[in-house]
Amino acid sequence: MDRTDAGALVQAAADGDAAAWKALVEGLGPLVWSVVRAHRLSDADAHEVYQTTWFRFAQHLGRIREPGKAGAWLASTARHECLKVIRSAQRITLTDDPGLLDRPSEDGTPEQSLLDSEEAAAQSERVRSLWQEFEQLGERCRQLLRVLMATPPPSYQDVSAALGIAVGSIGPLRQRCLRRLRARLEARGTV
Amino acid sequence: MSGMRDDDLFGEEDFDDREFDDELLEEELRQAAAVLDPVPSELQQTALDAYALHDPGARMAELTFDSLVDALPVRGVTDAPRMLTFQAGEVTVDVEVGAHGLMGQVLPPQPARVEVLGGPRPGTPLTADDLGRFSGDLPPSGPFALRLRTGGDVVVTEWLRA
Repeated sequence: MDRTDAGALVQAAADGDAAAWKALVEGLGPLVWSVVRAHRLSDADAHEVYQTTWFRFAQHLGRIREPGKAGAWLASTARHECLKVIRSAQRITLTDDPGLLDRPSEDGTPEQSLLDSEEAAAQSERVRSLWQEFEQLGERCRQLLRVLMATPPPSYQDVSAALGIAVGSIGPLRQRCLRRLRARLEARGTV
Repeated sequence: MSGMRDDDLFGEEDFDDREFDDELLEEELRQAAAVLDPVPSELQQTALDAYALHDPGARMAELTFDSLVDALPVRGVTDAPRMLTFQAGEVTVDVEVGAHGLMGQVLPPQPARVEVLGGPRPGTPLTADDLGRFSGDLPPSGPFALRLRTGGDVVVTEWLRA
């Protein structure tokens, strides 16, 4: 979501426009979810951080200093909540589990419906391979790519706020990570 | 794609090709994420409902102390209650969240109606006595905030995760 849009929507929502709020949730929700997923929290923690981030955003709506940077605000809030979860170490459950891919997801398993369709089988195999190789990348790359793959694509400002890395280092790091992922796919015979 | 341009002396076309491939792979990841790891629909709904928490008439009490962040852990103590302090102007709210519930005090001491919120819906009502003290048996779990009504004033604490 670009800055002009975000700024106008935050302003409108702060003034009572519920449709503007909906547009913010739809446009920036995937970014918030990506940040949470990038930090590998348990599902329960991930859900709570996601909710807390939006509750805080609603609460701060009229007080956000740079409404155009709503994406960065949300990303950075989500990041800080994730770090708090990680700090209270006894709560952390790593989802480092290869079984995760085979486990039905909570939402009526879009994965399964994709698998069910025969003509989609080949493509779904490709998607699964891609996801598996992505999950096995080093932590830095996995985090960065998980945030970059939000829909719509986040700005580098947002990515920087999401991961606490300098804007200038995102481009080179992205390039390296994508090439690393491609090399893994090639080694696997999936190109 | 490559080899189509013969005026390329500096390897720029390779660079462009690789950048193009990167874009493609990133887009493919984006589509995979949308299928394999989308925002769960109930969370999307909660975020939509959260608009109800936008209350321009309320004062926000900012978190000024959180023992989870600001205090050094005490050796050997694993289930110490979490201490939180919120501040809105001259009003301070101290809260202690433990395994057995929540205790708090409004300062300066004053009676107040306190609501423990867990989301956009109405929360559990508590009452602060003349000294501003209040307590509840249920420890908050997940996101929570306190909404205090004192006199004509509404103060809401910053949202946190319990």
